[in-house]
Amino acid sequence: MALDQQQALLFGVAAAVRLLLFTAFPSLPSLLAGRVEVSTPVTSFKRLQEGLFLYTHNVSPYDGGVFHQAPLLLPLFSLLPNPSYHPFATNVVFTVVDLLSAYALAQVAESGQAAVTRLFTSSRKDLRWSSAAIAAGFLFNPFTVATCVARSTSALTNLCILTAMAKASQGASITFILAISFASYLALHPILLFPPLALLCYDTRTARTKHAPNPWMFAILHTLGLAVASGALLVVSAVLTGSWDFLAATYGVRLLLPDLTPNVGLWWYFFTEMFDSFREFFLGVFWLHVASYMPGLTIRLYRQPLFVATTLTGIFAIFTPYPSIADASLYLSLVPLFRHLFPVMRYTFLASSSILYTSFLGPAFYHLWIYAGSGNANFFYAITLVWSLGLSVIVGDSLYAALRDELDVDRPELRGKEVKRI
Amino acid sequence: MALLCKSRVRGVLRPLLIRAAATLLALRKDARLLKVPPYLSALCIVVGVAWLLVLPLDEYSRRTYVSENALLPGQVHTYFTGSEHNVFRAYRQETAALADKSVEERTQRLSTILGAHNLKVATQRYEYHASGRNISDQNVYAILQGPRADATEAVVLIAAWRNMDGKINYSGVALVLTLARYFKRWSLWSKDIIFLISGDSTSGTQAWVDAYHDSHSPDTIEPLSIKSGALQGAVAVDYPAGPWGHRYDKLHILYDGVNGQLSNLDLFNTAVSIANGQMGIGCTLQRMWNHDDSYHQRLQTMLRGMISQGLGHASGPHSSFIPYHIDAITLQTVGDGWHDEMSLGRTLESLFRSLNNLLEHLHQSFFFYLLLQANRFVSIGTYLPSAMLIAVNFSISAIALWVLSGRPQTPTPNPASTKPPQPDQQAGEKANEKEKEQDKPTFIVAEIAGAKTLIPASSLEITERPLFLPLTFVLATHFLGLLPLYLFNHTPLPYLSYTFTFVALTTTLLPLLTATSLAHFQRPTPQERTLIQCFSLLLLGMFLAALATLNFSLSFLVGLLAAPLSFARASRNKGLSAVVGGLLLLLNPVVVVWAATLYFGQDVVEVLVKAAEGWHVWGLWTQVVVWLVWWPAWFAGSVVVAGGLVS
Repeated sequence: MALDQQQALLFGVAAAVRLLLFTAFPSLPSLLAGRVEVSTPVTSFKRLQEGLFLYTHNVSPYDGGVFHQAPLLLPLFSLLPNPSYHPFATNVVFTVVDLLSAYALAQVAESGQAAVTRLFTSSRKDLRWSSAAIAAGFLFNPFTVATCVARSTSALTNLCILTAMAKASQGASITFILAISFASYLALHPILLFPPLALLCYDTRTARTKHAPNPWMFAILHTLGLAVASGALLVVSAVLTGSWDFLAATYGVRLLLPDLTPNVGLWWYFFTEMFDSFREFFLGVFWLHVASYMPGLTIRLYRQPLFVATTLTGIFAIFTPYPSIADASLYLSLVPLFRHLFPVMRYTFLASSSILYTSFLGPAFYHLWIYAGSGNANFFYAITLVWSLGLSVIVGDSLYAALRDELDVDRPELRGKEVKRI
Repeated sequence: MALLCKSRVRGVLRPLLIRAAATLLALRKDARLLKVPPYLSALCIVVGVAWLLVLPLDEYSRRTYVSENALLPGQVHTYFTGSEHNVFRAYRQETAALADKSVEERTQRLSTILGAHNLKVATQRYEYHASGRNISDQNVYAILQGPRADATEAVVLIAAWRNMDGKINYSGVALVLTLARYFKRWSLWSKDIIFLISGDSTSGTQAWVDAYHDSHSPDTIEPLSIKSGALQGAVAVDYPAGPWGHRYDKLHILYDGVNGQLSNLDLFNTAVSIANGQMGIGCTLQRMWNHDDSYHQRLQTMLRGMISQGLGHASGPHSSFIPYHIDAITLQTVGDGWHDEMSLGRTLESLFRSLNNLLEHLHQSFFFYLLLQANRFVSIGTYLPSAMLIAVNFSISAIALWVLSGRPQTPTPNPASTKPPQPDQQAGEKANEKEKEQDKPTFIVAEIAGAKTLIPASSLEITERPLFLPLTFVLATHFLGLLPLYLFNHTPLPYLSYTFTFVALTTTLLPLLTATSLAHFQRPTPQERTLIQCFSLLLLGMFLAALATLNFSLSFLVGLLAAPLSFARASRNKGLSAVVGGLLLLLNPVVVVWAATLYFGQDVVEVLVKAAEGWHVWGLWTQVVVWLVWWPAWFAGSVVVAGGLVS
């Protein structure tokens, strides 16, 4: 896909906005990096800097108990000049990461896999937005801009996820496996995207070639590929840090939630309130809950794998232990791919209003709790509940719309009639 | 048996429920339903205002009480009497002698006096720039290390050299010096006490408290060389009586901080209870010198408190402390009476003894309240609904406009109507016959369970909403507000009055110009205009709801002044549009600010200077609300109404 003029303009403006924000408000990055809505313990740029400092001074970066991010980020960022004094290079890197994400998203949009797959063609497939509009929706989403300016490493995870989607929708197996293993290496939970995306990759490969590849061989090869790529990344990390300690400090933290810093998710409050004896049990239950969506959705909606992957990113934005607005921004920029479902969705106004309201009430209540001291944790938690509710309304409503869309194709005689979900 | 009954009841209820749901669903498409929201909005506003008006009644307000047990207000005997009076008079002469001296000399002398009490003394220079003016002075402070304290907590006693009116605070400063000497001799302090004599009432304390928490800008503000622990409370004295003293009548207690944040009600209650109960000094608030506890006076007190809170300005030396979550009040002496400086000193002694008892930060009592009198208040749970109702009125209008924008543009005819659809055209020429044929509503035959019905085609249409222009317009409007915000905060003093006139003229003409150019270049459809208004009101409702939790009064006032926006609609009737547009012009925030300054007898320029000072020094946010919340909403509403004039 060549960059046409319109896209070049779009990317140029998006880069300019980001660099302008970085240079015009020099205190903005550190302000945003300190916000709990943007930076979580596992993605914060400030913690990355701490890890970098230890790493460049030949101390294990995980010794301080502050840094919980993947070890391969360290050599990458140590190449850049120190962001405390010369932030420009780092800013450019994060801007480029956003542009690449938008480029990948545009590729996904252009593949048209959202409305027309191998096994399913939506009855409203002509209703779609151009790839440039969808990329613009990502690039100018305030949540994406805030994530970029805060230099949260979830921007990198988002890039890997979007690249994996783009490559899967083009049927490029090797780059897809590499991208998804990088995403899982950085954030662990994207590994749940592997089955639907592999399905998507299989669909496009089948559609492109004359004879379909053997599904079993395909599955085994891709799973092996994922195992090899992830294994290689882990081994390289172990060699780099000199021990396997990083596993406990990165994935251990994501799995076991030792850091209860507030975030926009639902876990921290539960686990601050919980008696220690129940902790393991509920950790298991919560993780099982997150993971259980993947098989169910993949099986039920196997004809629309890209929709499954998108919905899973929405589930991650709600139910993972350390979500931030970066996860929500990924989901909210993927939803416009399914423009053809919008006429069937019913609660768009409600959901977008509640997300809009909470994105203002959240910081206000956090201020009341932490700074003014006149509120308490329940204030902020109540808002994170509403935020999650808004996101889950979109997830549920789009799921309904997708099912309805399938029904309209399968049973044309039911079109336009009232249906009931059982 | 019980199960059987239950199922029978359910059997009876189910058809009823289904019928109710069907009726509701049928109503959903009813055009009459869209007539309801404006009345609902109006009802919200009326109830919101009425709610506020009943608050002063006994049934809706409560008597104040001290919740924090540790405070024990007025339970100690005070010893600040006798020979201390002579010390005080000596210091008052000393401070009077400093009146004409330079800042350096004054600081030097005050440091010497405080140092003579065996306290650790330090000074701080500060300089601020706002509206092209330089605000610079020096703070002097001394730390008394509590004999039983471990330097982890401290309370502050403040006297600004100049009070809010610019008068020299002779007796206040002298009292702080005397109390520093007096407190030093006691062995019972379990917190450090910091005596602060700030250069002026707002910037000096701000510089000091910023530097105490290392959040000052080091270029113009000196860091503090000595510090103590976490500040637990602060009390400021404002007693500007000259070297020959002045007997006062009452204590005027100031309690609101920057951006409408309030200090904990327990601190206020403690002060009132000590002054009133122990010392017999009357307490008053919000400049209500003669409060007879009538409904009228209570309401007036509350409204004054709300205006003061809504403006969010610093009302005294204590204001700067409150954003740091340090509860603080100012005691100001007012009137002519028979109380002297010693009773004020004893009040302060007792107050500090109470604060000394605190085991943890003040947290028991209310942080959100409206005071009606020194011993009567309304808590947040009682008053918040009024501002929320006002905010909700905008959301209701926004939702109604959203639904309206999704309605088909062609009117839905009634299939059961016996009247022909367009009776006046029936008599028209036959040449129009074909056109009329197209105008005729189309019907679709639907069949359910053998029964046939005619459904107008338009009620089955799905209307797409063009979102690009409305969203861009509303966002651009909100960004446009940054311009006047920047302009007012950075214009030097001599040009402020021209700037104000310029902005007033521009903002008055801008809606009409924008509407004209929009009509010329973009030709927004009525649907797009509806959506512009919808998004603008949605944002306004959202901002005000969020603001109501931070600064109730500001949210209420802005909501009330913007209330007509939820009823202003673009009209095809030019006369009506002109009238509505004219009314909206009067509600332009700039005009409202100008009218308010006239009404309260203030100078506009002075208000603007204070606002700019607030922005640069105190971190005031009121102008952000005005320019980025209120003004954009007004502008979008006016453009939509003006659109009716030009189209």
